Amino acid sequence: MNGTPDVLIIGGGHNGLVAAGYLAKSGLKPLVLERRNVVGGAAVTEEIHPGFRCSTLAHSAGPLLPRIAADLDLAEHGLKTLRPEVRVLALSPEGKHLPLYDDPSRTSTALGRHSEKDARKYGEFHESLGRIGKMAAPLLSMTPPDLDRTEAGEVWQLLKLGKDFRGLPRRDAYRLLRWGPMAVADLVAEWFETDLLRSVIAARGVYGMFGGPWSAGTGANLLIQAALEPHSAGPAAFVAGGMGALTSALADAAREFGAEIRTGVEVSRIDIRDGRAVGVVLASGERIPARAVASNADPRRTLLNLVEPTELDPDFSNRMRNYRSSGAVGKVNLALSKLPKFRGLDGNAPQLLAGRIHVGPEIDYLERAFDAAKYGEFSPNPWCDVTIPTLLDTSLAPSGAHVMSITAQYAPERLREGDWKSRRNAFGDAVVETLAAYAPDLESAIVARQVLTPQDLEETYGLTGGHIFHGEQALDQIFTMRPLLGWARYRTPIAGLYLCGAGTHPGGRVTGGPGANAAREIAADLRRKT
Amino acid sequence: MSGQSNSSYDAVVIGGGHNGLVTAAYLARAGKKVLVLERRHVLGGAAVTEEVFPGFQFSVCSYVVSLLRPEIIRELDLPRHGLEILPLDGTFTPMPNGDYLWRVNDHYKTRREIARHSRLDAEAYDEYGKAMVEMGRFVKPILSMTPADPTSRDWKGFLDLLRLGKRFRDLSPGDRYNQVQLMSMSAIDFLDQWFETDVLKATMSASGIIGTFLGVRSPGTAYVLLHHYMGEIDGAFRSWGFARGGTGAISNAIADAAREAGVEIRTKSPIAKILTKNGKATGVALASGEEISARVVCSSVDPRLTFLKMMDSKELPGDFVEDIERYKFRGSSGKVNLALDGLPEFKSLPGTGAHLRGAISISPSVDYMERAYDDAKYGHFSRRPYIDMVIPSLTDPSVAPPGKHVMSCFVQYAPYNLKGNWDEQREAFGDTVVDTISEHAPNLKSLIRHRQVLTPLDLERDFGLSEGNIFQGELTLEQLFFLRPAPGWAQYATPVRNLYMCGSATHPGGGIMGAPGRNAARKLLADWKKGKVRA
Repeated sequence: MNGTPDVLIIGGGHNGLVAAGYLAKSGLKPLVLERRNVVGGAAVTEEIHPGFRCSTLAHSAGPLLPRIAADLDLAEHGLKTLRPEVRVLALSPEGKHLPLYDDPSRTSTALGRHSEKDARKYGEFHESLGRIGKMAAPLLSMTPPDLDRTEAGEVWQLLKLGKDFRGLPRRDAYRLLRWGPMAVADLVAEWFETDLLRSVIAARGVYGMFGGPWSAGTGANLLIQAALEPHSAGPAAFVAGGMGALTSALADAAREFGAEIRTGVEVSRIDIRDGRAVGVVLASGERIPARAVASNADPRRTLLNLVEPTELDPDFSNRMRNYRSSGAVGKVNLALSKLPKFRGLDGNAPQLLAGRIHVGPEIDYLERAFDAAKYGEFSPNPWCDVTIPTLLDTSLAPSGAHVMSITAQYAPERLREGDWKSRRNAFGDAVVETLAAYAPDLESAIVARQVLTPQDLEETYGLTGGHIFHGEQALDQIFTMRPLLGWARYRTPIAGLYLCGAGTHPGGRVTGGPGANAAREIAADLRRKT
Repeated sequence: MSGQSNSSYDAVVIGGGHNGLVTAAYLARAGKKVLVLERRHVLGGAAVTEEVFPGFQFSVCSYVVSLLRPEIIRELDLPRHGLEILPLDGTFTPMPNGDYLWRVNDHYKTRREIARHSRLDAEAYDEYGKAMVEMGRFVKPILSMTPADPTSRDWKGFLDLLRLGKRFRDLSPGDRYNQVQLMSMSAIDFLDQWFETDVLKATMSASGIIGTFLGVRSPGTAYVLLHHYMGEIDGAFRSWGFARGGTGAISNAIADAAREAGVEIRTKSPIAKILTKNGKATGVALASGEEISARVVCSSVDPRLTFLKMMDSKELPGDFVEDIERYKFRGSSGKVNLALDGLPEFKSLPGTGAHLRGAISISPSVDYMERAYDDAKYGHFSRRPYIDMVIPSLTDPSVAPPGKHVMSCFVQYAPYNLKGNWDEQREAFGDTVVDTISEHAPNLKSLIRHRQVLTPLDLERDFGLSEGNIFQGELTLEQLFFLRPAPGWAQYATPVRNLYMCGSATHPGGGIMGAPGRNAARKLLADWKKGKVRA
């Protein structure tokens, strides 16, 4: 890169790459600095066993905000999204199963076997959630407004939003207001009676959270996802080649727009002169100057580790320390010699299993799984969100063989007894045994097993507290309060230092939203200055 | 008597609980002819004193004066009508390790006590107190406000919202931050930011779960922490105390004020049905068959009783019925009232000192509180429950024979929806409570002369609280303010013209506040002026 970069981006996760893409597209010169040798952060494809490749962390896309793929022409850069017709398959120990199809009418039909009432209600729920989602969608690509200095453009945005809100059928308007603070368990109970349906939808509210379905505010997560993709069954956007293919497409796009990306370089601290970020210092001691610094790392890591404490007002640092980012997710990736046989699934198993597989048959099952975490234990019977990507993408494993990716909750950051190094395998066993109750021949099919504990998420992937969303997505840590009230506009108390990761609005999941919004604000500031 | 009585009223109030009486008093003071109808032989609803055992007067349900709005005490001149509040000083928390935590109203004493456990927490306690008082200033006016409806098409609703928004905007950034956290966080997440002492956090967080089916780690429980400080802003100890003669004395004082204003009150008059004529309420029919006509019917009982029991749902919009059907009650608490031959002696602080004159809280640790909740989540009463005890006879000897005492134990969790049957498990529940206390005060069992155990089922049967919820419906975020009791119907009016709600199921909810009753009366009188009340 000739001359000093305009913006240094700390971390080559999907949000950092999205930010780089947009900044480069706007004519600025971003330089991305990635600690690992591979870009992608939590959205990577790695070889877990010779010949077996797997999305080691995130295994399905958020999905990306619709306009991002277009703005950065990701298709040209090889992004291929795979959409199974069964979005998610909910399993019960008795071998009953409930597929939630991409097409809600097919889901209603399938529900008929479980409950006439639910078959009727599902369509209404799907549509209501859809209307609410569409109305709320613009919030995701919006910079949370500043309560004190609301800019004219934003006032307009808000008025428009208010108008759309009033445009909702009153019933839906009230739902939007009620559902946010609700416990997702109550929300689904108001609609449905089938345990499998209740639990598979409720699970969307607790995914990635340190909370159970009975925790108030878990309804908000359902709404955020509805805004992202107005569908009642939850995301099922897979990427050919695994999630790593998505981030390498983002990287290629960014490069083509003129961004530079360096891997294997760790930032040890942010270089601050007279309260302004002027660059970074690498672990190697190398100093890189720039007009601005944007951190894709989580807020705690950025503001408590990479910045000298003396640079921040103690009150602010204190609030940052109180920002909750204690994770509850573990990951188990399996290399399989064959496709396991799931109880109660007949010939069409491959089609039914091609989306996400939900193991957590009842609300109480999910809640008990969380109870363990409250007292510093991992769940003896965790809730598992499973994918077998090789069903849609044979390139990931030798022919006939498969990989299975399991997101398991709950695995608290801090264990009351022992530590994660010593309990890693016990956790892996708990997950495999839980699944074996549904697919008895699973264990015999396992060729290799990778277990990622919250500690690994922190040490390997740099997620403070092992929180996959860079911080709890609770009512007091979203929108204008993400990461902190008064600092939700991607800026920080340090001039020239920005946040562009999941610790900012619209938060976690592979959506690219934070990166795109942050890029817009950074570009605006830099233009003002020149 | 039966059939059409010739008596006709401007307003008849269903239920002689404290809110119903407050509404009646305010309506009568505005010149309306008002009749209050109480199902039981005694007034007060859940704010009642009864001689359960000869010589022993119990505040059967609600046992402390928490937040009775000062403006009501003033406007109805309750002291003149016999209201006398005696101080309830402090909270004593015995710990299994033989230590204890004893907070009192004297801030500096408490500070020193907390310093015994943690110097840092003693410092934080000052900061915390200051912050809470600020928050209280913000919230207090909201209590006496008719909730604004964000979806309302009319300008007034819109302006109300803007005003609310502006008040929030006018807060300092620090206060905004605290306010947002209080409205959304769990009590423990919130307290964790201030304190490190487990027993302190556990005891403080208890106020966040009282009457709800939530645990101290459940988001939305932080808000109630405020209530303890709102009282203190009114100055004095008014916020936490006993009424001389028991909680019933409060209801009696309000009833007295109401009668003086011309209200007619009838007990032992259960309502069979609310009478309507082409979409308008016209009066009530008693179980006796007597019919009483009135321009307006005000119901202080909960919405399930009002709309689903006392009315035919065909008279109501389907959406509204659906909302009322899903309105959450989920009683989670029980009450054990003990008549004692003497005073309990606590291992951690022997003797019968001042620590027995305040509240005694069995809340030794945060996990203890949370585990108590976990039991209830799955349909069992807590094996080791949270208990809040008071011994009013120490402060007000008039409630027990000389040398004897009454001890009132509020117990959580006792889920209304029990796996099994409350009538069969009532005594087992009572035993659990006594055993739990005895672990801290071994001599208790030998002192018990009589024991009254009230399960959520009893609260429903005897006091007309659906599912035994002491607040007439859960105080969770989705059932507060403009959503209480139902979206679009949070302004005391109902889909039925001339039928109003004035109980704890309306904003700002439960506790002996009287605010719902006062707000409802204000709204009704305003509608009356606007001519919205038409026969």
